[in-house]
Amino acid sequence: MNDSKIIKLCKELGCCDTCCLRYIGLKSPAAYEEAKQFLVKYVRDKTEHANNVDPSTDQDETNPPEEIGPTAEQDKIEPADCANHSKEQDQTELADGVNQKTEQEAGSLQNDTEKTSCDRNGAESDEPPAKKQKTDSICVSCIGVLQEENWPQCYAMVKEVLDKKRYECDTFACALSAPIATMLRERYITLCLKEQFADYDADKLLTPLKEAWKWSFGAHLAAHVGITLDSGAVSPLLVTLNLEYPDDLQELEVLKTLSASLFESRSKQRQRFAVEFTRRSVEQALRGVTLARLRAQPAWEGGAPAPRAQARPVSVQAAHAPLYLGGRYIKLSRTLPQTPWLVNGLRMMHSSVQEIIFGPIARLYGMSPDETEYRLKFMSAGREDVDVRCLGDGRPFAVEVSDPQRTPTADELRRMCDEISEGEQVIVKSLVPVSREELAELKKGEETKCKTYEALCIKLSHTEDDELTANGDTAIRVTERDIANINSYRNSDSSRVLLSQRTPIRVLHRRPLLTRTRRILDLTAYPVAGHPQLFVVRLRTEAGTYVKEWAHGEAGRTRPRLQDALRARADILALDVASVDLPWPNTNTL
Amino acid sequence: MTMEFKILDSIPDLTNLKSFTERYFSKRYITNVNGIKNNDIMIMFHSNRIALLSLAPSHFFFTKANDFKVNYSVGNVNRLRNSVKGKSKKGGQHLVPKSVVCKIEYDDGTSFDVPCCMKGTLVEVNEELVKNPKLLKECPDEDGYIAIILSSIAISEATKSEMLTHEEYLKVLDSFEIND
Ligand SMILES: [Zn+2]
Repeated sequence: MNDSKIIKLCKELGCCDTCCLRYIGLKSPAAYEEAKQFLVKYVRDKTEHANNVDPSTDQDETNPPEEIGPTAEQDKIEPADCANHSKEQDQTELADGVNQKTEQEAGSLQNDTEKTSCDRNGAESDEPPAKKQKTDSICVSCIGVLQEENWPQCYAMVKEVLDKKRYECDTFACALSAPIATMLRERYITLCLKEQFADYDADKLLTPLKEAWKWSFGAHLAAHVGITLDSGAVSPLLVTLNLEYPDDLQELEVLKTLSASLFESRSKQRQRFAVEFTRRSVEQALRGVTLARLRAQPAWEGGAPAPRAQARPVSVQAAHAPLYLGGRYIKLSRTLPQTPWLVNGLRMMHSSVQEIIFGPIARLYGMSPDETEYRLKFMSAGREDVDVRCLGDGRPFAVEVSDPQRTPTADELRRMCDEISEGEQVIVKSLVPVSREELAELKKGEETKCKTYEALCIKLSHTEDDELTANGDTAIRVTERDIANINSYRNSDSSRVLLSQRTPIRVLHRRPLLTRTRRILDLTAYPVAGHPQLFVVRLRTEAGTYVKEWAHGEAGRTRPRLQDALRARADILALDVASVDLPWPNTNTL
Repeated sequence: MTMEFKILDSIPDLTNLKSFTERYFSKRYITNVNGIKNNDIMIMFHSNRIALLSLAPSHFFFTKANDFKVNYSVGNVNRLRNSVKGKSKKGGQHLVPKSVVCKIEYDDGTSFDVPCCMKGTLVEVNEELVKNPKLLKECPDEDGYIAIILSSIAISEATKSEMLTHEEYLKVLDSFEIND
């Protein structure tokens, strides 16, 4: 086995130049950029090498040069205005010379690549169009995916999408969605290679179609769209091309005979497999296919059937990796939910923190309300209730912008903050782009962060040691002793207060009933001047503590409760988050 | 813009304060259940279809001074063994309007049953009442609740509409007093 022989066989079978490179296992991206020239040079070098080293070992090795040479037909289909091709005349002829053998041996297969290309470019060919079947030039393996004739239409479609979306990104990655029939055809070629060359190892050698496509088409596309091609791991902008082949499903039908059991079981589960032929199912089916069984199928008697038409681009998608904007919000309203509050599809509050923050971002990107709904996503380190304010430095949050055209400038970010804060319900002092890693910190923070609250509370009954007047209508007052009782209260050696909280009734309909242990780390109380029955408690709690339920006790479902520290019945009138102990986003970037 | 906000900005009108259950629940009543005079039940419905079962203030229970115990063991079912799993509260005891949730047993050997008065799943019973039964007498609409029941929105709404609102309940009580 040697590469020249593999190339020869591939050509005989009807493969294009680029596919030949794939089957010999070439993995150098540069080789694929100008596959035809590379192949010619490669074959020549191989041959010369073989001739020089040991011309007698393999008779076939000496054959290619003899077969190579311009033919009358070559001259005819090489019109003068295809200057770029004539420049490479020698090499082109060489490559077609390899093909010449194909023509002689396989009879029906011809290479009229050059002609097709020029025709499509509007060049006059002196070759009558009807003389040859155009389809003969379509590669039997890639169905034209790797053949340049197809590409101008792809460039145009990509350009149209990129022009419309107007990304400010100087790199891109590209992805291919190729007809599934290429898998079946590829399998056939590798089986043929294996038949001829027992040690041919397709798993090790074969360069995947999508890789070859990136290295060949992708490189040319970059030149056309004027931005640099990079790997998907590096570039945030991904362009996906969908190529379709009209006979795709029809050709794959043969697998229902070759791998009957697989597709029978799939069709029984039709519900689950809406699409029978997926890359996965075809790959599975192809595992058991042998050359003999494939050739026994009418369509495959004479080898791989010539594609009736080329794979054509049908759609292009461009998507930029999401952008994350991080900040902290201060919520000043007691009638504002964090996210839209809907009951049976009806909105319960006029707005939400999320909507107020989304507004200026959606405006910057020119998003419609519908678009805003699916392109912006709100994330935060926890949430507060509608009637709870969030003060201090606010609560960390991030907005995911999917498919952003660009990153906002520092100026634009500042302006967004101003617009958010205008209504004085929500204040955001700064917004910064944050990384995916930082986002993980935000989400992790939800479970680990501590929070400080201030709660306005009321004493509702006398304590045992309150001094009562004889007539029994002594007003309830918060005494110095009450404040001292709260300030000295503790029920655990390990922390200030250890709470046992059942899932609050207000969320019990949608969460499991559990009893959780939570800690109050600090607890101080102070009286309220002018309101003798009121007092304020300031407390620091670990994540997940239900502070309202601790304050009113929820009919004893949280124990101990504020009334245990006060030694009298108590209730909560208002709650503020005073601080969320999570330094995020990274202060360096603020 | 000044960024000084204090909790003291939020002192409400103290003349019209509502208790925890008044804030979050709507109270509904049913009187003379099973034809027993003043066998009056109160169910407090949260907007999320969770319901708290308790005795209405007009229940004959509140006029009897004897010591009593709350017994959640009814028939061959022990309500204290109720356990629910997951969001859907799987495994909770099934309740129908006639189901007895607990028995109040007096030291004079008499007792009465507390009926559920609605269809649903038993989520929780108030175990505290076993240790400290006087809560039922002192604060039936808070610490003295008897059980937490979950039903569907439809059942919750239907039950609510069949029962008396607080205003209707007060009127019914007035008319009883006149009739007596
Ligand atoms: Zn090909």
